[in-house]
Amino acid sequence: MIMNTDPGSSAVLSLRNIHKRFGGVVAIRDFSMDLGAGEIVALVGDNGAGKSTLVKVISGVFPPSSGSMAMDGNAVSFANSSAARRRGIEVVYQDLALANQQPVYMNLYLGRELRNPRTGLLDRRRMITESEQLVRDLDVNLPNVRARIRDMSGGQRQGVAIARATHFARKLILLDEPTAALGVAETAKVESIIDSLRARGLSILMISHSLDQVFRLADRITVLRRGQQVATRDANGTDKNEIVSMITGLH
Amino acid sequence: MNWKLFGPASVLAISLTAVVAHAETIGPQGEAATPSASVTVPDGKVAMLQGGGYKAALLWHDQSDFVNAVTAGASDEFARLGIEVVATTSAGFDAAKQRSDVETAMAKEPDIILSLPLDPVTSAAAFAEARDAGVKLVFLSNLPSDYQHPRDYAAIVTDDLFQMGKQAADALAAAMGNTGTVGWVFHDANYYVTNQRDNAFKATIENNYPDISIVAEQGISDPARAEEIANAMLLKNPDLGGIYVTWAGPAEGVLAALRAAGNTTTRIVTLDLSEPIALDMVRGGNVAAIVADEAYELGRAMAAVGARALVGEDSPPFVVAPAITVSAGTVAEGWMQSLHREAPASLLEAAN
Amino acid sequence: MNSAKVWLAEREAEKWVLYLGFLAIFAFFALTLHDDGFLSRRNLVNIVLQTAPATIMAVGLVFVLSAGEIDLSFGSIVAVSALLAAVVMREAPAVYGIAAGIGTGVAIGAINGAFVAYLRLPSFLVTLATMGLFAGIARSLTDLQSVPVLNGFFTGFFGSGSLAGIPSLILWTIVAVLVGHVILKETRFGAHVLATGDNAQAAAVAGIRVARLRLSVLAISGGCAGLAGLLYAGRLQAAKYTLGESDLMTVIAAVIVGGTALAGGRGSIIGACAGSLLMGMLNNGLILMGLSVSEQMIVRGLIILAAVAVSMREISR
Repeated sequence: MIMNTDPGSSAVLSLRNIHKRFGGVVAIRDFSMDLGAGEIVALVGDNGAGKSTLVKVISGVFPPSSGSMAMDGNAVSFANSSAARRRGIEVVYQDLALANQQPVYMNLYLGRELRNPRTGLLDRRRMITESEQLVRDLDVNLPNVRARIRDMSGGQRQGVAIARATHFARKLILLDEPTAALGVAETAKVESIIDSLRARGLSILMISHSLDQVFRLADRITVLRRGQQVATRDANGTDKNEIVSMITGLH
Repeated sequence: MNWKLFGPASVLAISLTAVVAHAETIGPQGEAATPSASVTVPDGKVAMLQGGGYKAALLWHDQSDFVNAVTAGASDEFARLGIEVVATTSAGFDAAKQRSDVETAMAKEPDIILSLPLDPVTSAAAFAEARDAGVKLVFLSNLPSDYQHPRDYAAIVTDDLFQMGKQAADALAAAMGNTGTVGWVFHDANYYVTNQRDNAFKATIENNYPDISIVAEQGISDPARAEEIANAMLLKNPDLGGIYVTWAGPAEGVLAALRAAGNTTTRIVTLDLSEPIALDMVRGGNVAAIVADEAYELGRAMAAVGARALVGEDSPPFVVAPAITVSAGTVAEGWMQSLHREAPASLLEAAN
Repeated sequence: MNSAKVWLAEREAEKWVLYLGFLAIFAFFALTLHDDGFLSRRNLVNIVLQTAPATIMAVGLVFVLSAGEIDLSFGSIVAVSALLAAVVMREAPAVYGIAAGIGTGVAIGAINGAFVAYLRLPSFLVTLATMGLFAGIARSLTDLQSVPVLNGFFTGFFGSGSLAGIPSLILWTIVAVLVGHVILKETRFGAHVLATGDNAQAAAVAGIRVARLRLSVLAISGGCAGLAGLLYAGRLQAAKYTLGESDLMTVIAAVIVGGTALAGGRGSIIGACAGSLLMGMLNNGLILMGLSVSEQMIVRGLIILAAVAVSMREISR
């Protein structure tokens, strides 16, 4: 069904023939994909397959060597990550990118702190109120947004990182291994948060090593092997065996 | 700048830098020197002071053997006169800290302040408060700008710098039989104390010893480089009869160079007491003599000047403490006379 | 994670230990030295006057340390700024001298910052090198000569003057501490400084211009050092190459005792001010106790060690 639609016209993000080379090394070769609103796509592949590089190309950290990107049908290219952020793309990094000694609410507004328009000083009260609202909406299990990150568990930290992305993403969230460092219960909690984002109409591109997780969350799965896009499958129309054989190249 | 040098040496004395080879030590404003021995508290006034409940503060520029000996001399004299020492400070050569130290000490309302003003310009404001409060100021070596004697301060007391250089020359000449060649290692910096001493040595050799010639002159600013400098000097002048070294720190380096070269004939003379240098001298090595100041006596004289001012006795504006020549046989006495303490045990053992 | 702990953490409870220690030492001196003038108004004012330049240097250093950098060169900047201001004021009105002093500090700090921000050199090494470099410049500027400052407006404005009975040095201290505190705690710039010191990578991906920020904090430190130089010049009515030379360790100790993390991400201007006053109070009280200089150094060292141990322990808990 997806194959039949006019490629990219209604997609939140569409990638066409993306190549990324570092010197003589080809990291991504001819990658194309459309991502619709409220859709979760999982990006799977072995270490070094090019997944993180692709996330960085989409989020404006690296420019693509060739190929094109469009959002809502309009061609885009990002000079840096701030430009991508301005277009509504947020990233949750594997290493969290949180400032550990600062409170939760300052992390949620990191780099985008709210100011009192009259004094130009930080509007801590509004940041705290809105943070509490956000944490409640996403059902992140945090007792107090004024607590510092260093006093939180891994799951709570990941919750903060995802909450931040959710708050500012208008279009797309890129998740790089969102549960890699978490225990079982915390993983379940983070997965339920991700699942709830679908209802907000956000598109999600997620890198994960856990195929169980991928099948629990993703609508579609796209496989990378040594920079090559092997295939894209509906999650309902495939199984773990097929995906594993595509990842490894063994039959 | 924490060499085992004199306190005053590291202090810039702008008004004193026109270093000419005077035949005697003169004061910052050309004052003639009065020997410290003549500055004493008259016996009749001692009882008056003892009952007066007077207080003194010692606001030094730094800490060193020299400062300790001056402090001991001053404290003993104050104790004899019933004057209590209520504060002792070290400014670590920091002009701002010196100003703070004066303010802090003023909380104890001293009647006398003994101090080395770090430099004439910055100390003028630093001591103004104390001066205006009527505290008797006795200065070591330096004078704040525009301070007038005896209205603003009681006296300046310092070492007899010319005598130190001259006695070094006399001692080296005697060790060389009044003939031969000499190397002159001087302090290559704009410091009143070392400049005065170095030039007094040179002038004495040139004027009083026609058969001794200075064949090598080498400035030194970093004591750690003394050994290299001595090596170069000996390479060019292998038959040097003697070497003058500006103070004991670099003399240790010169001595190391002589030992490394197996040289047992070149004699060394230097200034300020130092255990390793004195040990070589006592063991009959290269060191011929050490010239020292009477720091303890200097401290006593400072205290006496302050006490005299309290009982209305003016003192001469510029007072100098004598220099002494210490040789192998007089180490024990020399240490006592200069620093007012026993010579290090190693020296006393080696001397016996 | 209970709310009491959050409440304590928010109010940076570790600083309370400093304040309690401060009060304890004050009480000790007040009891033992009440006959020796410690509590006299003049002596207490003196303590604040004497620490004013160090407190202002500490304000600058809090920004640098909070951003995860260090500045070892501020003491040398003090001397260069003070000397240049004094030289300018030989010929020109005070306002030029003030501009020269502060401007020099900011410019020199920005040079440090440029090496750190754009050549990506560690600030420890850059400022270790420039500490000597600037000290050498200060020495050569006037060939080791002290320069008198005779401008009465200047020496009043920065030294001996007062406004409504409050000495100008105290006013400068209050202004610097309040402005520094508001910038660090209540502005986006301050939040970015703390975030950068905490996790520079996170700050960078959050769109904070980390390089420019590093340059800024070192320029702030230079500017504070320049102001401190003016205060010294006003107080001594002269400038000298040794000004600020011996403040490095005192100021670092004051800032660390005050609850600023050496590794970045956490800073307190008010704490640094209290730390600086603590250092001044120790100097003063130990002198008034009549201790010898060596004894003063030993006791001061032990107290600083204890204070640092307590404040670091509280922070890492």
